[in-house]
Amino acid sequence: MLDWCFGPQWRWRLKRFFRNGKVTILCLLLTVVVIRGNLGAGRFGTPQQDFNEIRDHFYSSGRRSEPRRVLEEAQTTTTATTNDGDSNSYEQFDINKILVDEGEDEKPDPNKPYGLGPKISDWDEQRAEWLKKNPNFPNFIGPNKPRVLLVTGSSPKPCENQVGDHYLLKSIKNKIDYCRLHGVEIFYNMALLDAEMAGFWAKLPLIRKLLLSHPEVEFLWWMDSDAMFTDMAFEVPWERYRDHNFVMHGWNEMVYDQKNWIGLNTGSFLLRNCQWSLDILDAWAPMGPKGKIREEAGKILTRELKDRPVFEADDQSAMVYLLATQKDKWGEKVYLENAYYLHGYWGILVDRYEEMMENYHPGLGDHRWPLVTHFVGCKPCGKFGDYSVERCLKQMDRAFNFGDNQILQIYGFTHKTLASRRVKRTRNETSNPLEVKDELGLLHPAFKAVKVSSS
Amino acid sequence: MGQETLTAQKRGGALPTTTANGGRSSAGRAPRGWQIQRTFNNIKITVLCGFVTILVLRGYIGVNLGTSDADAINSHLLQETNRILVEIRSDSDPDDLAEPEINPNVTYTLGPKISNWDQERKIWLDQNPQFPNSVNGKSRILLVTGSPPNPCDNPIGDHYLLKSIKNKIDYCRLHEIEIVYNMAHLERELAGYWAKLPLIRRLMLSHPEVEWIWWMDSDALFTDMVFELPLSKYNDYNMIIHGYPDLLFNQKSWIAVNTGSFLFRNCQWSLDLLDAWAPMGPKGRIRDEAGKILTANLKGRPAFEADDQSALIYLMISQKDQWMDKVFLENSFYLHGYWAGLVDRYEEMIEKYHPGLGDERWPFVTHFVGCKPCGSYGDYPVERCLSSMERAFNFADNQVLKLYGFRHRGLLSPKIKRIRNETATPLEFVDQFDIRRPVHGSSGS
Repeated sequence: MLDWCFGPQWRWRLKRFFRNGKVTILCLLLTVVVIRGNLGAGRFGTPQQDFNEIRDHFYSSGRRSEPRRVLEEAQTTTTATTNDGDSNSYEQFDINKILVDEGEDEKPDPNKPYGLGPKISDWDEQRAEWLKKNPNFPNFIGPNKPRVLLVTGSSPKPCENQVGDHYLLKSIKNKIDYCRLHGVEIFYNMALLDAEMAGFWAKLPLIRKLLLSHPEVEFLWWMDSDAMFTDMAFEVPWERYRDHNFVMHGWNEMVYDQKNWIGLNTGSFLLRNCQWSLDILDAWAPMGPKGKIREEAGKILTRELKDRPVFEADDQSAMVYLLATQKDKWGEKVYLENAYYLHGYWGILVDRYEEMMENYHPGLGDHRWPLVTHFVGCKPCGKFGDYSVERCLKQMDRAFNFGDNQILQIYGFTHKTLASRRVKRTRNETSNPLEVKDELGLLHPAFKAVKVSSS
Repeated sequence: MGQETLTAQKRGGALPTTTANGGRSSAGRAPRGWQIQRTFNNIKITVLCGFVTILVLRGYIGVNLGTSDADAINSHLLQETNRILVEIRSDSDPDDLAEPEINPNVTYTLGPKISNWDQERKIWLDQNPQFPNSVNGKSRILLVTGSPPNPCDNPIGDHYLLKSIKNKIDYCRLHEIEIVYNMAHLERELAGYWAKLPLIRRLMLSHPEVEWIWWMDSDALFTDMVFELPLSKYNDYNMIIHGYPDLLFNQKSWIAVNTGSFLFRNCQWSLDLLDAWAPMGPKGRIRDEAGKILTANLKGRPAFEADDQSALIYLMISQKDQWMDKVFLENSFYLHGYWAGLVDRYEEMIEKYHPGLGDERWPFVTHFVGCKPCGSYGDYPVERCLSSMERAFNFADNQVLKLYGFRHRGLLSPKIKRIRNETATPLEFVDQFDIRRPVHGSSGS
């Protein structure tokens, strides 16, 4: 009797067990899937990363074949386009489909300390001799006007942000305008010369290379891609720096006394082409090589400098540290300029443009009409910056138009408002165009005049 | 024994109701209990599934019941970014007042008629010797290019505009040419390809010290960094444009010349030509009607509104005697080089020839007509256009990087590699490789 009772009951219990088990396993599976999908699972990553990994894996295996064949493949794929009409559309085009990453990065010797290049000790003599032999390429193009090369740049790959490249374009147009008026040449860099010094440090090997390749250049003016000229009439007072080799915007107390990490700014600075500059570049570089050196250096800098957050070593903090600790060696030839905005922090300037237009005029270069408005922290080419995207982009538009108005007024136009892309006339066309003088005298400015030969 | 208890209870009848109830409930208790159990099971499953559904929904839609901070910030930022990007992209302007309609009966003019520009200019140059029209023996040239003020329809378009202007900056730095990059629509009626006309006129009149104005499209790239324009060839001419006399006069082809890269001398003749060129330009009915005339008269022209190139060809054909003696149709080098026939041969060129030739062996300019990377659709497959533009850009960039001892790893690679080791005496290479040195034949007075 007991067996009979037990039998079906046992079967029933078993069935119930399995049913429960099924439900439990199903729920467990679902939970794992959902959690995996939303939060990721540590080093296994999210499904999106998985997909990218898989895609990269298949891509790279194709690329490992000979470079020549890869180039031909890239060309012949054009004839094998599948989608009808869609292949003519630029919508959502992925640049990675055409860029080919080939070759090996140079492997640095781990035993040798990092160096920007072979040590040069007689650059002043080499350069002086070259200038003597090449009178057609003088280092001074006017009585008080040195030959200046403005250097800026950006990544050779498209920006991560959808409008980043557009703002880079506006930024370079702005620089082209200023430099045309002031007789300054431009070098726009899109090449990473040294893979170890990637990121903000990339300017160091570039600057050294340009100094050595252009002995005719007296001053090299580095300018970040997120800095814009907002005073088109202001000419840098070159005479003031006769006895200095390195000009940055900053304050002596903040650098030498307080060791504040924003005591100076390396987003816009002038460097003379001489032996001293090569030496300071060599002294500046050691904190730069990416990886462990940069990380460790970052910790030292955070510890030693005031208010510095925790992140890897950057060139600006390293310069503050260098000057603060080796003031005797370098301080004499460094000029920390704050009489005008060689670098102007955008946060305190952009809201006052209308007030400036009402009360002042271009040519002042200082807080009344800043020479440079520098959008630190905005990172328009990256994904997210430190500031609100809306504020950054809108203010960059305003700063651009503020500078552009000074160019357009030469030709009798101006932007309708600081926020508008449209322009309107300020002067009617006339049949005597040569009698028209623009208010700011930028049409034929004195700093652009060539030396009149007396013959 | 249990049965006895039951019988006793029944015989006693002490609690008839209880017994009756007990009996009834005990009889229904077994199936009832099983029902309750099953109900509980179902409820359990329902609750569990409901919980899972909420989790999934929360993951994809968000319910904001104490979600993680990073998630919220990220999605909020993304939404905000997208909203702003849409706003920036849109062409709407807060102060867009209706512009007055132009009278179609009155011929459109670029400005008040000027008749004595040559004399005026000469007087000005004499009075302003510090702004001569030639520097170091070379005539002053102003390169003019531009792009629309709003972002391209697609981000990749802006990226190639950026590369294009870098390419022009490099060439112009090496050849002492100034650049004007225009991003403003000076005349609402002459928008689009016609925008260059009022711009060129304005620049000519404002800069009498400029001898030549060189218009170049934003989709044209310099691919020969050494080649210099043979200006002495053009002493008797006022307009230099790439084209073929046969295509122009005999076949009346709409692509007989190309207005993507041409030069205008700063003189009265050029002002007159601009005035004669402009009337087909004003957008709206005039441009549409003019387009029909051009399609009817020019060979191979598709039906669309009047463009500046077709209008110029029509002008050259119909008023040949008035203009053509001062127009130089250049085809001995690629002042404009149609890209499709050139981009595949870059490797062959690198192997066999050298920069400085400017012609089909090493094209001066590679012009990506029809690619339209700033728009949404081009006339050619996107991949072909963009990879070709990348190749042309790197082909030119290699010539610039040579001075610094680098080259691109491949014509499609953004990365560079060293071709010359660093040295402690860099100046010997400067003399050898700098394009501006006399070794390369550029003038140095």
